[in-house]
Amino acid sequence: MKKHPMLKYLKETGPQGDRLPLIMCPGCGSGQVLNAILHAVDRLIEEDGIRKENFVFITGVGCSARLTSHYLNFDSGWTIHGRTLAIATGALLANPDLRIIVITGDGDTGAIGGNHFIHACRRNLDLTIVCLNNGLYGMTGGQVAPTTIPGVATTTTPYGNTEEEFDLCRLAEASGATFTARWTTAHPHQTMRTVMKGVRKKGAAFIEVLSQCPVHKKASPTDMLKALKKNTKRIKSGETAPGDKIPIGEFCNIDKPEWIQSYQRVIDQFAETD
Amino acid sequence: MNNKHVLKPGTYYLQGAQACLEGAIAAGCRVYGGYPITPASEIMEHAAQRIPQVGGRFIQMEDEIASACVLLGASWAGKKAMTATSSPGFSLMQEAISYGIMSETPLVIVDVQRPGPGQGYVTTSQEDVMQARWGHHGEGSTISLAPASVQEMYEFTIEAFNLSEQWRTPVLIMTEETVAHMRERLVVPPIEEIQIIPRKKPQDLGIPPEDYLPWGHDIVAPMANWGEGYNVNHIGLVHLEDGNITQYDLEMHDRCVKRLQAKIEGNVDKIAKVETRYIETCKHLVICYGSVSRTAIEAVMEARESRGLDIGFLRLKTLWPFPEDKLREIIESVDTIFVPEMNLGMMKHPITEALRDRCKKVVSIPSLGSLHTPEYILSKIHEEIR
Repeated sequence: MKKHPMLKYLKETGPQGDRLPLIMCPGCGSGQVLNAILHAVDRLIEEDGIRKENFVFITGVGCSARLTSHYLNFDSGWTIHGRTLAIATGALLANPDLRIIVITGDGDTGAIGGNHFIHACRRNLDLTIVCLNNGLYGMTGGQVAPTTIPGVATTTTPYGNTEEEFDLCRLAEASGATFTARWTTAHPHQTMRTVMKGVRKKGAAFIEVLSQCPVHKKASPTDMLKALKKNTKRIKSGETAPGDKIPIGEFCNIDKPEWIQSYQRVIDQFAETD
Repeated sequence: MNNKHVLKPGTYYLQGAQACLEGAIAAGCRVYGGYPITPASEIMEHAAQRIPQVGGRFIQMEDEIASACVLLGASWAGKKAMTATSSPGFSLMQEAISYGIMSETPLVIVDVQRPGPGQGYVTTSQEDVMQARWGHHGEGSTISLAPASVQEMYEFTIEAFNLSEQWRTPVLIMTEETVAHMRERLVVPPIEEIQIIPRKKPQDLGIPPEDYLPWGHDIVAPMANWGEGYNVNHIGLVHLEDGNITQYDLEMHDRCVKRLQAKIEGNVDKIAKVETRYIETCKHLVICYGSVSRTAIEAVMEARESRGLDIGFLRLKTLWPFPEDKLREIIESVDTIFVPEMNLGMMKHPITEALRDRCKKVVSIPSLGSLHTPEYILSKIHEEIR
């Protein structure tokens, strides 16, 4: 049987037993996003000559982490809920040659890690942040998230969500990220190309991918993918989507000083000249 | 590495906070993440000035949670890293400490203790000594050191980095406002006299990536850094030696967590240090740690010289792992043990547990918010022994 081309980047097995199969639920979007990310990395290794050893994946806690870190045949960290970007900051400070891809979720980024998120964007650290947004807490049983649309019933909003939701891309942009984009699991090629751009961007790149959770939404994955196509509208920077559509595309791509480069000028003042 | 700006051998007059950071630099610390808090900010301000001078990177993070997490990432990426905080910030760092214990990450955290609970006050304290051991969620031991002078702020910080690399675990320097703000002499030895223990790495042991067990091979596993092709996935769940979690069972759970405990508690004699004076056949004993030992030794000397009391002195240089066997080895039988502490009696508990059958009585001498005077300790000794 022909193997999936991206299996070369997964730990199928190890000294103490198999890791695969992945434990994701049937119809989950996480695998599609991971596939797009790995294809992007594969091309970056090929086209840009980035050493595979220099790619590091950092995840937090939740479906976005559980379904990725443990299987990746890369240096990685399956870390603390919400703390991915603080940990990534430390890794980048220690070794700026690392190409760090943070795979996070909407709860990980928008709730418990909100403070770290806005500050990583503000510092414009050279990180690629891919946020899988399924609009709820999947791993813990489908609770409301800061990205849940008002009115939606979840296990902790049984009478409907009475809060407004975050637009994570606008939050990232307002906080200082120099590259922001949003795609969905129905846009795998666009996601792949945008992840490549994000890694190439010298600065904080935030890429949100709307993903389906058919288990907790009690819907069919194909219907959900169709809805992701139908309910979104591709826009360019400066444009707005019609009121009933979620804007997708690449929103912001600007140049600003990146932290490591700015701090290097401080270090260089003391560099040995003799 | 840029060593031109490392503090040169010689005699200095420095603050404890500065000596601590200079010790870190001498030990090879090249990443510092911090967040301001009184009375620990001087360490961070000194780091902001000094770390880039030696080619390292300093960052002021958005909170103490983030500061501690910076150390995890920096350590995995191959650099020695440190933060310093004070008690409320230390509470926020417990999550990262717990994760650091499980992922076996070398890192150093300095807690310049201030009184609590809550914001308490900004003066001096030893009220976090139990939090150092029991503050993080779950099992797993920490290593905690208690320096008592500016010289020890330098030396113990080097020791903290050595212990963290040697045992692959977070090391906590449980200091106090008293010592961090104290100014006194620091003697920096010639560089060749400073022992630096490097991280044990799989490359040095000839272990190729395909055979590498990130949590195996020995009671302390060799550690590969990110970027070296060993495909390490740092993990906070209970795991097999290769990092696999899909094979979960109770036996694997037991083995994983008990090794974390055993590597520290089973090596107390290699990790923990005490200092003793007048200990031979003494009838009574003062046991203390940190800056309290500075006034306690005065009280002991005064009691011996002026009042003819046969009283000994024991200082815990290491709080955790608690050197129970060492204490039982040293102390066969005494009447009264006095434990002066800047809390309401915390280390009194493990001391009592260790020496339950070796003494008649353990007397706590508490002080909140300020260092005991020698006279005060002496008066409390005399209340008991007339």
